[in-house]
Amino acid sequence: MARASEPLIVGRVIGDVLDSFTPTIKMCVTFNNKQVCNGHELYPSSVTTKPRVEIQGSDMRSFFTLVMTDPDVPGPSDPYLREHLHWIVTDIPGTTDATFGREVVSYEIPRPNIGIHRFVFVLFKQKRRQSVNPPSSRDHFSTRSFSAENDLGLPVAAVYFNAQRETAARRR
Amino acid sequence: MAMAAVADCRWSMASLRSALPSVAVFPHTPPSFRIPLAAFQSSPSSSSLSLSRRPRTQQLGVPYTGLSPLNPLLSIGSSEYTGFEHHFTIIDNGCRFFAMRHGRRVPKLNRPPDQRRALLRGLTTQLLKHGRIKTTRARASAMRKYVDKMITLAKEGSLHKRRQALGFIYEKQIVHALFAEVPDRYGERNGGYTRIIRTLPRRGDNAPMAYIELV
Repeated sequence: MARASEPLIVGRVIGDVLDSFTPTIKMCVTFNNKQVCNGHELYPSSVTTKPRVEIQGSDMRSFFTLVMTDPDVPGPSDPYLREHLHWIVTDIPGTTDATFGREVVSYEIPRPNIGIHRFVFVLFKQKRRQSVNPPSSRDHFSTRSFSAENDLGLPVAAVYFNAQRETAARRR
Repeated sequence: MAMAAVADCRWSMASLRSALPSVAVFPHTPPSFRIPLAAFQSSPSSSSLSLSRRPRTQQLGVPYTGLSPLNPLLSIGSSEYTGFEHHFTIIDNGCRFFAMRHGRRVPKLNRPPDQRRALLRGLTTQLLKHGRIKTTRARASAMRKYVDKMITLAKEGSLHKRRQALGFIYEKQIVHALFAEVPDRYGERNGGYTRIIRTLPRRGDNAPMAYIELV
């Protein structure tokens, strides 16, 4: 599964958001029956509801934390508000989906205003249950710092998609 | 009486050759394409093949009627051509040959020059404004040169360079922001200020698409 991280390197997710890691668990993110693949573009109108995140872990005794962030706020050319936190779900049992977890930070609808934004889903494996504390703010969120503070280690899976502000013709 | 006159006028190929000893006329070439016979005859003193070209002064009188193919196989059975040098002789007609423009293709983007320039200016402006845009791979590759050029102008930072950038980029405030930000951001980087990431083809016409972004 080492090749699965290559799109993340090309898309600069590894570097801007995460350190280099080897994916060990398969994660499937779906918006309205549309699966998220690395680098594919989704319209903001199609990501207004929470996605279905399925985790194909080893067993239900292992727990995972899901983080969704936007590293391109307010715009990719000068992201001085990097990163913006959109969603955190913790204590997700393996072999289940995010609805079985505990929502620490509620889902915020992506609203890319300037340029094309990357929205990154990162999955961490927890050492034990109920060990994750919520961050103080959505702005200036750091996935690396969050991982270090909560002793989550390196990610076990990640996927990202692109989105940009829709024109009036698209919204119609 | 008339029959005797006709009999006296008979001619042969040998008599024709003796009448024209200095010019070889090939049977399958145009009558105006004549080459001095001495160019094809090997010198009796040297036994090896001599490929030395004749001085240009002796070839000035030779008419040139296009690149008529000279087939060396036609002359093998002839008695005049004892050597093989005529297979390699180059007819130098005094014209100049210029290098071909291999690899110097301009990405034309299916547009006339003025529209093409306007398109590239618009794409460059949008990329410098937004940092990342999605376009076709051909346009991304074509605009890369101009984005790098604008960033290089901003690194130099003089008033002359600023005015050059103002003449290319459509939005004035982007130029001033570019000149303010670039020296810190790209001061250590020599070229390669953009990154092209391929993505899915476009839905309507299956055109290959790509994201181009500032590094």
